[in-house]
Amino acid sequence: MKIEILYPGAFPMARVQLAAGESLKAESGAMVSISTTIDVESKVEGGLLKALSRRVLTGEHFFFQTLRAVRGAGEALLAPTVPGDIVIIELDGVHEYLVQKDGFLAGSEQVRIESKMQSLARGLLGGEGFFILKISGEGQLILNSFGAIHKVELKPDEEYIVDNSHLVAWTATTTYKIEKASSGWISSFTSGEGFVCRFRGPGLVYLQSRNPQGFGSWIRQFIPASSE
Amino acid sequence: MAFQSNALCFGSDLPGQGIPSHVETTPEGLALTFSDQHSQPPVPFDQLSLEAGGFDHDQLVVKWTQGGASRTLYIKDAAVIAAFRHAAPPELLAHFDRAAASVRQVRTTRRTVLLAVVGLLVTLGLGAWFGSDALATWAVSLIPPEWEKQIGESAMKDVLAQQEVVREGPVVDAVKEMTTRLTEQIANSPYQFTVTVVKSPVVNAFALPGGSVVVFTGLVKEAKSPEEVAGVLGHEINHVLQRHGMERIVKTLGVMAIAAIVFGDQQGLIGLAKQLGVEIITLKYNRDQETEADLTGLRLLHKAKVDPAGMIAFFERLAQSEKETQRVELLSTHPMSARRAGQLTAELKALPKFLPEPFAFDWEKVQASIKSSDAQPKL
Ligand SMILES: [Zn+2]
Repeated sequence: MKIEILYPGAFPMARVQLAAGESLKAESGAMVSISTTIDVESKVEGGLLKALSRRVLTGEHFFFQTLRAVRGAGEALLAPTVPGDIVIIELDGVHEYLVQKDGFLAGSEQVRIESKMQSLARGLLGGEGFFILKISGEGQLILNSFGAIHKVELKPDEEYIVDNSHLVAWTATTTYKIEKASSGWISSFTSGEGFVCRFRGPGLVYLQSRNPQGFGSWIRQFIPASSE
Repeated sequence: MAFQSNALCFGSDLPGQGIPSHVETTPEGLALTFSDQHSQPPVPFDQLSLEAGGFDHDQLVVKWTQGGASRTLYIKDAAVIAAFRHAAPPELLAHFDRAAASVRQVRTTRRTVLLAVVGLLVTLGLGAWFGSDALATWAVSLIPPEWEKQIGESAMKDVLAQQEVVREGPVVDAVKEMTTRLTEQIANSPYQFTVTVVKSPVVNAFALPGGSVVVFTGLVKEAKSPEEVAGVLGHEINHVLQRHGMERIVKTLGVMAIAAIVFGDQQGLIGLAKQLGVEIITLKYNRDQETEADLTGLRLLHKAKVDPAGMIAFFERLAQSEKETQRVELLSTHPMSARRAGQLTAELKALPKFLPEPFAFDWEKVQASIKSSDAQPKL
């Protein structure tokens, strides 16, 4: 499998070249186009209950799609819903990534995807919701972000604070807790930035340079409010 | 044999992403090789400290210092952990067992929580199958008024943060008098109604769960009589009493909100509602709720001896403006104003006749005060 990022920047696409027989797991809205040699299978990843919990609790699509090069080699073009970066992460079997639900674009077939429940407080207060994806195994993982993606490396016991809604992914060796932003939290609620995550190293944290909730409320101010 | 990594090594002098490593236990301690095939100095058992780590607490975290630099090794491989257990001295294992016990405890708790969630999902799934609306309505009926008050007040703060609040003057006095006159007639109300006037040309008013009512100056300015404003207030107050807003909120938030209510998790529900933020006021009531608020609103006016003709006249004027904008009832979730006016007229006929009592304030002065404040330049 060969992945290439086309048009890097705000509106990129991932071009994935599959050898005959190879397959790829993609977020079900991600497919832009495929060669005629490729079939799309909608397969439940990780059992029915897991898929169900994913749909019910994260509002995510019921299925990941599997794109399989059944009739010979071919290519697939994939794109995220929101404008922003695409990054490729090489999974080496020992790193495990936790990915917020909108951050996953695709992964090679050997990549393991599990939905994980966060604690109630994390789910309620964090922007990412109750379920996040735990991704491990060996192969390639494609993440997408809203805006640019930025990687932070944390040394053992090094601490770092990230606004919830800017989180894309982090490695399982980090620990984190949700905290209230220090001051003016009622007014900051309206800007969607009331809570932060305090991470503790070692490990990696991936951030996005734009905040989807903030963007949403920015858009909303141009839509006339109506109420009875 | 190709290099096979089974652990991840971190250190104050190593890259932040960690180095994939191969670890083996020896009778003396750990033998470590980095992915660049560099063998590391052997690490004796007596220099190690242990804990559980990783997102699921399923990794063995081994720490030591080496030449002044800290080392943290994450091991997930079950075979390596078993070998470690076999080779390590008893005093270190005591430590190891404490770590393992904490892992088991976390796992058991998680399994219990998961089972509870699954059970709840099945119940809720069945509920959703037989009618999610009925389920939400039932859940809303369980919410204590105190929770509603907190949700409403929190949303109110967010809403008012972006608005210019009128704190005193003839409009505030008039709106308060109308609200008091209406709410006095509600027997055993669990809610404490408060009304806030916002300076805005919008011809509207809204109410949040728990009794926070907002009136825009535009409504008072455009109304032809105080009874028209009172009619709108009566309608909004009844949205609160019938818990229509709360129903909208719970339906919008879905399963998790219902779970929070069923489990009695007040902070959980408030936290969820907060995610809606200012959007709370844009949640639409459905037709049945609007009709219910209209009819109960009319009865409240009747009880408070406020002339209901004002409310009906208000809807008739709305109907007139809708005719001009060609709104189509089928496309609207709200009953058309003309139909609402008709229903109200029919309902009024069924009520006993009474002699309306006027309000104490001077309506012309109230309206004049808006016009003069509109004319004032904003500082
Ligand atoms: Zn209404």
